[in-house]
Amino acid sequence: MIQAGSLGIPYAPVIGLAGTDLYRRRDDVTITPNPFDPEEHTVVVRALNPDVAIFHATKVDRSGNALLRWHPDNEDLQVARASRRVIVTAEEVVDQVSPYDSGGVFLPTINVTAVVHAPGGAHPTGVNGYYELDREHVLEYQRCSVSDELFRSFLDKYVFGVTEEEYAHRYGRAPVKV
Amino acid sequence: MPEKPDCNVSELLAVLIAREVKDWEMCACGALSQIPAAGLLLAEATHAPHVQFIIRSSREFDQVGYDMHFLAQRGQMDLFFVSGIQIDAEGNFNLHVIGNADAPDVRMPGAYGTAMLYYTAKRIIIFRTEHTRRTFVEKVDFISGSLKTPEKVKRHTQSVKVITPMAIMDYDWAAGRFRLGSVHPWHTVQEVQDNTAFDLGAPPQAPATPAPTVEELRTLRTVVRERMIDTGTYPVFAREGLQPA
Repeated sequence: MIQAGSLGIPYAPVIGLAGTDLYRRRDDVTITPNPFDPEEHTVVVRALNPDVAIFHATKVDRSGNALLRWHPDNEDLQVARASRRVIVTAEEVVDQVSPYDSGGVFLPTINVTAVVHAPGGAHPTGVNGYYELDREHVLEYQRCSVSDELFRSFLDKYVFGVTEEEYAHRYGRAPVKV
Repeated sequence: MPEKPDCNVSELLAVLIAREVKDWEMCACGALSQIPAAGLLLAEATHAPHVQFIIRSSREFDQVGYDMHFLAQRGQMDLFFVSGIQIDAEGNFNLHVIGNADAPDVRMPGAYGTAMLYYTAKRIIIFRTEHTRRTFVEKVDFISGSLKTPEKVKRHTQSVKVITPMAIMDYDWAAGRFRLGSVHPWHTVQEVQDNTAFDLGAPPQAPATPAPTVEELRTLRTVVRERMIDTGTYPVFAREGLQPA
């Protein structure tokens, strides 16, 4: 559980899952007595601490602060806190990103290992205020996902067969005017 | 036998779902739940003007994120809607795989949150657009959500009901199985049993589900249809799935 990982605790109680094949097939979930009330048992799940997390931000600064996409749950923050290394790619490098910036979620540098200037880095998905989802590209990805052979041809075309510059030139999206 | 009313399956289920919603309740529906969404808005437009609801992926009615789960964990979610590719006699549903889980014939997107809300919402409505033996099976291939609760584990669920194009089934906690509740009046008990792979324990005569009224369908096709389009709540479904008045 990523929440537990973000808090540095070994596991967390949850309500639900018991009786399912999800519960039966996983070794990171079990049932244990509540230490404060032995009459109650709870499902507990083990903490998750990813080795590396990669985020794409709208803005980063050179100190490593980042402005991530807005999300009601700030779940990116939980993932960043839980992960051992955090790489943030960004549309723009600016002088300063602060917790008072609007339009996104502030990720402080204490949780960031490295930042990378990568405009267009979310392609083929979109970045609000920068560019839209590339629908045709996503559909092509979907069509190529049905077999190993097709997927290899997709990787050859878009990943192994082009340099970063060629990719940006050929498939980069025109900026959205705001 | 009365004729089937002039409505499609989505409209029928939305009307039957709306009737289950009580005024002042807190309700929610998750991903791909256009039919419950229409049902909630129909309830609000008719007998439940003070109902509160969260509709995932709606522009206007999805502002809370995880709060939906935490609210339910605290025992404050009155009604939640689930579905499944298979639903079995004991109240298990399957959203994961058809066939052997280690070498599945069909692999589906799966779900975790549903297995949590199946524990935490007080009332559950399972909706399904087809009533066939491949859907209502004796035992699901994979248990994504279960009504079996281990001893001493807390569960808020009080009642579970299945609504299909043929019938309404109620979960009998003592027997640990679904039982036939009512049959839509244009079907027979025998037809429902023939299309269900588990024994419904049905008496020869089951109560008839009251058919959708002209007024319910009219409200659904006008007020609810427009509201779904205006609020960004499954607008394509509203435009194409709910007939113009």
